Amino acid sequence: MEGTEFDEAGFFRAVAASGARAMLIGRRALIALGLPLLTGDYDFWLHIDDIALFNRAAAPFGLVPTRSPEDARVRGRYGLENDEKVDVLVGRSVPTVDGDRVVFDDIWARHQAIEVAPGVSVAVPALEDLASTKRFGARPKDAEDLRLIATLIARRGGE
Amino acid sequence: MSRYPGLSDADIAVVRTQADRDLTLVEFNAYVAAPISPDERTAHDELISWFTRRYPTPAARLAWARRAWRRWNRAATL
Repeated sequence: MEGTEFDEAGFFRAVAASGARAMLIGRRALIALGLPLLTGDYDFWLHIDDIALFNRAAAPFGLVPTRSPEDARVRGRYGLENDEKVDVLVGRSVPTVDGDRVVFDDIWARHQAIEVAPGVSVAVPALEDLASTKRFGARPKDAEDLRLIATLIARRGGE
Repeated sequence: MSRYPGLSDADIAVVRTQADRDLTLVEFNAYVAAPISPDERTAHDELISWFTRRYPTPAARLAWARRAWRRWNRAATL
């Protein structure tokens, strides 16, 4: 199925304009930063107090929350869906596979804004922090992505 | 009909389970911490250089991602 046309830049614009503290993470962020990876969804890490803002920004794009904000806060994640799939983390901190905890406020304080369309920016964690978020899961592709991030970090250091 | 010609639904389920499984911490750290060989580094470098040269802006790269996903889905459902 091809699905309906999704105004990605419009979505990012609406998120930025909403005031929600939301960072694009996962493979979509890595693609924006220069890694050619395949993904079909969007991953965001959102401040736990900004769920309503984020949902309001997504609503005009037909994206429907899979859980109530209260339930999402309890579970630490929810989704927004139509033909597109947006996975949203909402924990104040999230454990890594090593048992460390990555704290939203720490990552947010170091985030970078990257321009994804003229006049439209999306917040993305610093590369080292993006690597930390890749340790939230332990799938083979997370490990593979971490090796690619290491190359991206090394290249940046060599610039 | 199978989404992937030549593979049964059971085969696909096995592959999907393997790809999506969580590695143990030991497996995960061993994979991540293994030294990047010169060949692997060169392969990564060439891939990133091609991608960022061909698609020099985040916007262009994100647009590529949507096209690539559509292309992959189309091929997988033939």
